[in-house]
Amino acid sequence: MRPWRKKPTRFTASVTLAVVIPALIVAALYLTSDIPVPILLVVIYLPLQLIASGIAAWATKGTRGIADSVIIVNAIGASLFSVIVLVSVIGSLIVRGLRALSPHFLFQNSVYISPSTPLDYGGIGHSLVGTLLIVFIASLISVPIGIATAVYITEVRGRAVPYVRFFVQAMSGVPSVVAGLFILTIVVATGAFNQSAFAGGLAYAILMLPTVARTAEEVLKLVPDDLRTGALALGSTRARTVLRVVIPAARTGIITAVILGVARVIGETAPLLLAAGNNDQTVVNPFGSPISSVPTYIFNNVALPYPDAVTRAWGSALVLIILVAILFTLARVIGRGRVGR
Amino acid sequence: MSTAEFEDVMDLDIEGVEASTVHPVGPAEMEARDVSVWFGQRKVLEGVNIVFPKKTVTALIGPSGCGKSTFIRTLNRLHELIPGAALAGSVLYEGKDIYDAAVDPVSIRLQIGMVFQKPNPFPSMTIRGNVLSGLKLSGMKRDNHDDIVEETLTAAGLWNEVKDRLGNAAGDLSGGQQQRLVIARALAVQPHVLLMDEPCSALDPASTLKIEETIRELSKEVTIIIVTHNMQQAVRVSDYTAFFLAEEGTPGHVVEQGATTEIFGNPQEQRTLDYVNGRFG
Amino acid sequence: MQLRDLQSAATSHRGDRVFTRTVAGAAFTSLVVLAGIAIFLGLQAIPAFQTQGWSFLTSTGWDINTTPPTVGIFGMLYGSVLLSVIGLVIAVPAALLLAIFMVFLSPPRLAKVLTNLIDLMAAIPSVILGLWAFYILNPTAEEWQILLNKYLGWIPIFENTSGNFLGTPFIAGFVLAIMMIPIITAVAREVLSRTPPDLINASEALGCSLWTMLRYVALPYGRGGIVGGVMLGLGRALGETIAVFFVLKIVFETNWDKIIESGGGSVATLIVSRFGEVSGPLELQLLLAAGFFLFVMTLVVNVIANLIVSRTGRLQK
Repeated sequence: MRPWRKKPTRFTASVTLAVVIPALIVAALYLTSDIPVPILLVVIYLPLQLIASGIAAWATKGTRGIADSVIIVNAIGASLFSVIVLVSVIGSLIVRGLRALSPHFLFQNSVYISPSTPLDYGGIGHSLVGTLLIVFIASLISVPIGIATAVYITEVRGRAVPYVRFFVQAMSGVPSVVAGLFILTIVVATGAFNQSAFAGGLAYAILMLPTVARTAEEVLKLVPDDLRTGALALGSTRARTVLRVVIPAARTGIITAVILGVARVIGETAPLLLAAGNNDQTVVNPFGSPISSVPTYIFNNVALPYPDAVTRAWGSALVLIILVAILFTLARVIGRGRVGR
Repeated sequence: MSTAEFEDVMDLDIEGVEASTVHPVGPAEMEARDVSVWFGQRKVLEGVNIVFPKKTVTALIGPSGCGKSTFIRTLNRLHELIPGAALAGSVLYEGKDIYDAAVDPVSIRLQIGMVFQKPNPFPSMTIRGNVLSGLKLSGMKRDNHDDIVEETLTAAGLWNEVKDRLGNAAGDLSGGQQQRLVIARALAVQPHVLLMDEPCSALDPASTLKIEETIRELSKEVTIIIVTHNMQQAVRVSDYTAFFLAEEGTPGHVVEQGATTEIFGNPQEQRTLDYVNGRFG
Repeated sequence: MQLRDLQSAATSHRGDRVFTRTVAGAAFTSLVVLAGIAIFLGLQAIPAFQTQGWSFLTSTGWDINTTPPTVGIFGMLYGSVLLSVIGLVIAVPAALLLAIFMVFLSPPRLAKVLTNLIDLMAAIPSVILGLWAFYILNPTAEEWQILLNKYLGWIPIFENTSGNFLGTPFIAGFVLAIMMIPIITAVAREVLSRTPPDLINASEALGCSLWTMLRYVALPYGRGGIVGGVMLGLGRALGETIAVFFVLKIVFETNWDKIIESGGGSVATLIVSRFGEVSGPLELQLLLAAGFFLFVMTLVVNVIANLIVSRTGRLQK
């Protein structure tokens, strides 16, 4: 797939020159003049780099190489751009959020805390509880339904399978704010429940279901058919085959599906703003009252004109990304473990 | 066979099967009458008539692709699970047609067990769990699970090798051991007939011999029908043999059947003679 | 010859019938939910039209103090599209270049590292991106936009009359681009890596350059899939709420093309920004009506995207 990477030494030498010379020129300009950085980068460095690479390419491959060099420079640029953005995001989380982290930050709530309260007091304990509660409720709803959907597609194989897959796909495109709005309409407007962890869990379940169903489907498909045939040959019904043989055989994959589903929703803010509201207290009853969550906490503290509040926002963002990272790592570790066993 | 047992066979309760407490129920007689098989529009078997006497081993031989595996799957109603499958004729078990509308295919498979070419123990269960899995999956109730595990693994010739590690994962066993485990699993639900579809073709010679020994022992209790590519195996193991053939473009059919000694020693048909002498297939 | 009836016996097992029906019922939950959303929100749209008429969709403004309220979401609808387009202009070339790099240029280990990086980007919750954009991107982008305006301000889209370069559609579009890049890159990479190796080897044997191969072999082959991936990214961007909310200054006027001028809107941010101060059930209903149109918009884009992706998948087989 990569025949364009052959490298004779003359090529390497020209490439090195082509990279080093524009960089040196720009560095010199940066130090000696006060041309603004954006201009330096876009107007001076980029064209210089393109020209230098073009010359290097022309020298080694003739005119054919020029177009290629443009692509290569830009492709590397795009990759660098992504790396820079990622490093900036993660880096800012650590640099600005680490200060807020402490044991009490993780366990206390915000009942007596105002935005100007210093960092020694208060925390996101109530938000963590809220997130856990909401995610738990969402899993209780979406995991059985998601697995059942996958079972319908791979085991029952009814005539409606293409339609089911279509609807699951369509559901994965529902914006999170719409999911929150929908649950709000049903739940609050009909007076059934107020903003609550339960309502938030329902909204999250809508967002989780497609991920769980799709991943579970892939995992069930991997279970070898001779296991099913073997079970049937022993006098098993279809139902027992699925419940006692196929799903246990796909156990690790299904757990991975659930973890990925949770990781997908755990940072969603809009649905909770609408369906779960906010609360400074630690709430344990899923039906009773509005409840905080980590994304909601961040949302409420972001734009406050108090530096401590903002630091708290960064801190909770850091906690959130750590949670997401743990989930993805868990999924990888479990998935790599006993596949299909 | 007593009336009670006969009624048991044809009218099994979905919830569970009460096994006889006296003695494992003996082997049964099966017969295929004029069985023709289709996959969609394509006819793959034509007019198969074979009798399988009690407590015997019958080998089904023939070149690949002539429908032996398809045929054997009609004997325990696994064939119909394939989309587009169709069948004509009847398959008699103890004189009654298993394709009768009143018969529950799930329960029939308790009476007529099957072992496949590729060993397929359940990976999520232990060795002991696998042996007992048939009971769990079919809802059959039997007492003394420990005895069952020991008896079936002994009958399958595997007990001594695994008796100290029944709690290990089934996937840790070698191919030959897995296949014997699968045989023990099939035996645990006390079938009267055991179908075997090329059970040794994926195994090494040592395991093959072990399983052939097992087959000879088992046939004292259970009627065995075995599909095999290996003619020496057929000679070693079977009492009766049926030779299947599918000539170009025509569905498979039985060319000749009879006592194994006759089929191999003194075949009546030229095609049989050619096949057993290795001239084709 | 009488064929045996296999079907009625095979499925007649009582336990299996119950099982099949239960599982099928659960499987249709997604349909029920989608229909539910369409119906519940759609029911809210009707009164909105009754009181507002078509101006709900064609005008821009949010004055709830008049009776009936004069409300129009055109500016928001336009804004959703504008922001997404800005995002696409940035994201599509970047994603394509990334995909080309990963598939055709980079050493395998580097490609793997980049893949993990892109997945990491995809996993970042939008609230965190919004936080980062508000405190880090916004000020940085201000400098870039000022320069853009200084030297290229004669082009209409780079005009800025207010002197305010914070909270512009450009910045919001940029954040959307960061969200779209992982999606589009993943699809493009998948599609490009399926280019038949024979075609690639043949072009190399013929002495083609990378660019020629891309232009005549890989990109045409992967065109359908890439378009599908772009539309998936578009669907994501249209529905994005929080990150845009943090970054964009919401004004109830249609910002047609002043992308580096402060002010803009999108339907999703409209809902979230008005939700906290909803004055009563009437205003809530109008917000729900807006939500209905957002739902329809994203549904249409997503359905088309999936059709394209699945159809070209089949063609390529």
